Parts: sequence; structure tokens; C-alpha cells
Amino acid sequence: MLSEVLQGTEPGGFVIIRDTACYSGRRLLKYYINCALKRGEAVHVLGFEVPEHELCAKLDSSCLNLFHFHNAYTDPLGWTKQSSFTVQHFSATGVTQLLQETQHAKTSVLVIDSLSFIVRHHDPVVVCQELQKLRKGGSVRMIFGLLHMDLHQQGVLGALSHLACTVISVTPGNIARYAVANTSQRKKSGKVMQKEEFFTLTEDLTLSIETKPNQSGKAQADLHTESEVDPMSNLTFNLRLSEVEREAKEKVALPFVFSEKKKSALLSQGRGSGRIMYEPDANDDFDEEDPDDDLDV
Amino acid sequence: MAAHMMESKGTRLSGSATSFQKKSRSKLIQIPGTKPSVQTGQLIVSSGVPSLDCVLGGGLAVGSLLLIEEDEFNSYSRTLLQYFLAEGVMSGHELFIASAQDHPDDIIKGFPSPLQDEDPESKTVSSSNPDQQDAMKIAWRYQNLPKVQTALSSSSRFGHYYDLSKHMEQDLLRNTKIHTFYLPEEQTEPTHHSGVLGPYSVLLHTIQLLIRQNGFDGSNSQVKPCNVLRLALHSLGSALWGDDVCVSPAHNHALLAFLYALRALLRSSLSVAMVTVPTHLIRNKLIRGRMIRLSDTAIALQSFSDTERNNNPLYKDYHGLLRVIQVPRLNCLSCEVPDTKDLAFRLKRKQFTIERMHLPPDLSESVSRVSKVQKAPVCSSDGNKRLDF
Repeated sequence: MLSEVLQGTEPGGFVIIRDTACYSGRRLLKYYINCALKRGEAVHVLGFEVPEHELCAKLDSSCLNLFHFHNAYTDPLGWTKQSSFTVQHFSATGVTQLLQETQHAKTSVLVIDSLSFIVRHHDPVVVCQELQKLRKGGSVRMIFGLLHMDLHQQGVLGALSHLACTVISVTPGNIARYAVANTSQRKKSGKVMQKEEFFTLTEDLTLSIETKPNQSGKAQADLHTESEVDPMSNLTFNLRLSEVEREAKEKVALPFVFSEKKKSALLSQGRGSGRIMYEPDANDDFDEEDPDDDLDV
Repeated sequence: MAAHMMESKGTRLSGSATSFQKKSRSKLIQIPGTKPSVQTGQLIVSSGVPSLDCVLGGGLAVGSLLLIEEDEFNSYSRTLLQYFLAEGVMSGHELFIASAQDHPDDIIKGFPSPLQDEDPESKTVSSSNPDQQDAMKIAWRYQNLPKVQTALSSSSRFGHYYDLSKHMEQDLLRNTKIHTFYLPEEQTEPTHHSGVLGPYSVLLHTIQLLIRQNGFDGSNSQVKPCNVLRLALHSLGSALWGDDVCVSPAHNHALLAFLYALRALLRSSLSVAMVTVPTHLIRNKLIRGRMIRLSDTAIALQSFSDTERNNNPLYKDYHGLLRVIQVPRLNCLSCEVPDTKDLAFRLKRKQFTIERMHLPPDLSESVSRVSKVQKAPVCSSDGNKRLDF
């Protein structure tokens, strides 16, 4: 499922990668950047947290002409007045202008590294609205955003994740070198797919996924092996019926199996229903123990 | 309430077999797609989902507000909203759709297609009955016992049935007056955003204008024929409405003021509203409680994740739980209480249904038996089995 995130064709996709300090989601983000570059899409990165050379490293060098880094790392708040892009410029119109300055490919992917930085300098409500405008604006095919879960209140995280169509939460796994990704993807039709995957990303950005060994599947397999052992195989007496024997058995009239007529007569309630009135007296032999002790009544 | 007053002037539906006839002074207003409620005599409309109508005591009263707490991914609540609007199309009501996230046209495109034939469920039930009779060979004495009815349905048919797998044809929509409100297109200068109503002032103003101009409040009913207005407000309170209810910890909120004003507006007009709110995003539980107080009917949808469905055998057949938080108490002291609170919904390929949730009989060998150990009565001191009175 992780590898299929980029494949959607409908415009306005919004993917949030949620990480914590324990495990960084930036390498997964780089994986998606690399995939988009290989597909021949222009990638615009709004970089707040890492310098350009760090993000560029190990990307496919043949496609780097499609890679555009909008540097807000050196001067994110515009203190030295040298940077062309600061966090204050983040708005639907601002970003769209930025994309149109260097428009080469037919489709473009916007990568925000990271949303956490923007949310800390803007009203979260405004950020949500601007992101939605960007999605509907049609200038970008997909938006990827990195969100650090441990920096925000639950409400902000919820509001941003509610907006996204795909949310990937990465956490360190128990198994060495494998990390866990919880992906929930919402299709336009309203169908929701959720999956938990173990994955590793190597230095040269190749992704290998191992689906979590399903516990319920294991239990079913166990049951299956048990049922293969036939208890009737090694018996000293016969438990099977031949065809003739079965026919003979079915012919036997069992007690309390009545004809249809009698059944219906018994099932139909009589007009007047009788009731037995009985008052026990001192001479009655009353058994204290429940006579139907072995029945589940 | 306007709807009730108008209705009570006329006669009730003539269903009685007696020769007694009530003298009718004025003629009964007939609005297509409405009927008086069996319990309260209130004028009600169908929500589009027959089983939901059944849960809510027949239907939605005209002039009332239904609050739906959205499920996590907003897919089932959106389906309910589309059912509600599609029912409006089929009944010839006027529609008003407000949204900040999806364009209202996208919501309209997703309306389910109406089924022309009768209830699809009743057919399957009747066909399955004969082989049920044959199946009883040994325990035949039980065959006359009523089967557990999981699907909720009322005896009389009200509303239409829909096929979710198809979309409604365009010519059906053409006859309906649909008013849409898409927040990004309506955006005005930010001065509007001040005041008690905050970001909702434009929306409320639009609804007010619509109700007044089209005579839903009965002010110029001689001009217009009576009709019902169905309002569907999608994902109210989400950040896209410009609302910080999910983010800020404040207690007084614009959303609450809006719901208050909206309900006042509904009460004095022939309109019914369905509002969906993503309450799982709202951290402040107090606001959620106030929202429920400010609406007439409140239900919550809680969808299951895949792992939950696989792990719990009770949930296997369902897609989520439906909780009835509040049922309306209109013009009377009591209200229609649903007979069970264990309700679950399921989204089949063609249909959304609400059913009673129950466990199938446990036929396995390892059924846990009730232990025979009897507890000593609480008030006895010596721990004897019986009390010596």
C-alpha cells in the first residue's frame, strides 16, 4: 500500500506523513520525491527544516532538473531579508505563483517539509483553508506534507489529518531495521482502506515492504492442520455407514417424529387453553433438589 | 410550530372503520412527501433511509434539526446526507446544500438512484420462508416462534428506496429546485467574520433570505404553493468553515450560536435540516454536549476499522455502530423511545441499513455454562442458602 500512494490519477491528492522524534518520516518523503521524479513530474519542495543538499542527496541524478527547492531553511522568518520565500509567504496564491515561475512538466507535486513549521507560525484554521484551496486550485497534482506528531495538540493534528486523503503514521518497529507504517487511505467514493506494514528504506531509497504476519491467518492455519488428522482412520471398529445401511437407517421411524398432519395439529393452538391449578399440601413429597439439574434451562 | 398548527386544523388520516366522521372545517394541507406522525400528529418527512425513520420514531418532524456526529472518515455520514437529499428530490421538496469541503455539485452527483419497484427486502424474506419450514425436522415445535427481526422496518411504507450503486438521472434533478452554498465561492470581506456568528454569518443570512423569499415561513403563502425545504449542512465545525472549534479550548462558540439561530429559523418555517459535524475532532466535550442540546434529534455514527471487524465476531457483519443520542420531544412530554439501543449499520452494495445488533446462537461445544454455585443472599449473616423468615 505504501508504494501505491503516488499512483492516484485524480488531482488534488493530499498525503500526510506523520512521524515522531523516535523515527523520522523524512526518508519516506524522500522516497516519494524520488518516485515522482522518476515518473517525470516536477517536484516543488517548500523546505523549512533541512538544507537543499541534504534533501537532494541520493535522489535520482538524471531527473534533478525537475527538482525545485524553495529555500526557506536559511532564513525561514525573513530576518535577513535575503530569502525569496519565507513562512509568511505560505498561502494558496503565494505557492501557486511560486510554482508557475518554474513550470516545466505537465503535472507537479508539492512537498512541504514540514507542515509542523507552518502550523506553528500560522493559524491552523487558515493553514487548513489554504491547503484546501491549493488542492482545488488544480495547479498541483499532489501535496505531500510531513507532520511531527509530538509538536502539536491533538486538535490540530486531527484537523489536518481530517483534510488529507492519505495519512501515513510511521513508528519504529520492534524488529531491527524495520519500521511500522499505518496507512489509511480514503477514496473519493468514500471507501476507506487501512493497512499496517513493516518497511525498510535503504540508503539509495529502495523500499521493501513486509506485510505484518496476520495473527488471525495463523490461527486459521493451525485449525486447518488439526482438521487434517482424521480421528476415524485408526479405529478397530466400524463407524462408517455404507449406502445400504444409510437407507435402512433413514427408514426407521423414530419416536416423536410425527406425520405432517399430526405436527400441524400439535402446533396449532387450541381455542381454549387449559391450566392446571394445583396447591401442594403438607403430605406432598417435595424434592428440594432440582430434578433437572443436568439440563441447561 | 407552524407545521403542527397547520396540520391540526385539518382532519387526521381517515383510517378508522367506524361510521363516525369528524366534521372537517378547513381543507387539509397536502404536501407531497409528508405525513402526520402516528405518535404525535406532527408533520414528518422521511430521512430517505426507512430504517433510520423507524429508529427516530417515524421520520423527521418538519421544523426540527437532526444532528449527525460524523464517523471518522466521513463516508457514512455523507451517504446519509445524500439519502436525505435524494428523498427530497423524489418528494418534490426544495433543497439547500451547504458545504465547505466538497463542491455541492459533487454531492448532487452522488445521489443514489431511486428504485421504482417495492421494498427489496420484503421479497427476499418471503422467498426464504418455505425452505425454512422444511428445515425444521427435529425441533419442529419451535417453527411457529417468530424469527428475530434484525432489520428495522415499519408496517406502512414511507419514503422511497434507493440503489446506492447507481446515481440519480439528470432529468429527475431538473424538476427540483436546488440551492447551493459553497463557502469558497461565497467568500466575502472578512468584516463579516466578526460577531457572535463568526464564520457562519453568511450562511445563516443566506438561509434566512431563502426562507423568507420563497415563503417557507408562511408569510406569503398565498403566492407560493406549500412545500418543504430540506437543508443539508455538511461537516459544520470543520476547519474549512473557518471554524477553530477543533483547535481552540474556548467554551463559547460561533457554532453553538449558529445552531441556536438555525433552530429558531426552522421552528417558524416549513423546513427540516440535517447537519453533520465531525465531533471526533472536537476535543472539548462540553461543546459537543451543548450542540446536542441545541438540536432536536442527535445520532452518532461510529465506524469500525478493518482490524476491529476481524477481531470481534459481533461486528463482523456490520460497518459501524449507530447511537441514538437524543430523540425529539415535540409538543408533548414523552418521546418515542427506540426499543433497543444496540443498533448497527451496514453498507451493502446497494443499500444502507440500520439493524438491531445481536449475536447468532452459540452452537459450539465449548459454550460457557452458567455456574451452579449459588451466591449467598446479601443480607444473611451466616452465609446460609436460605433465609429463615
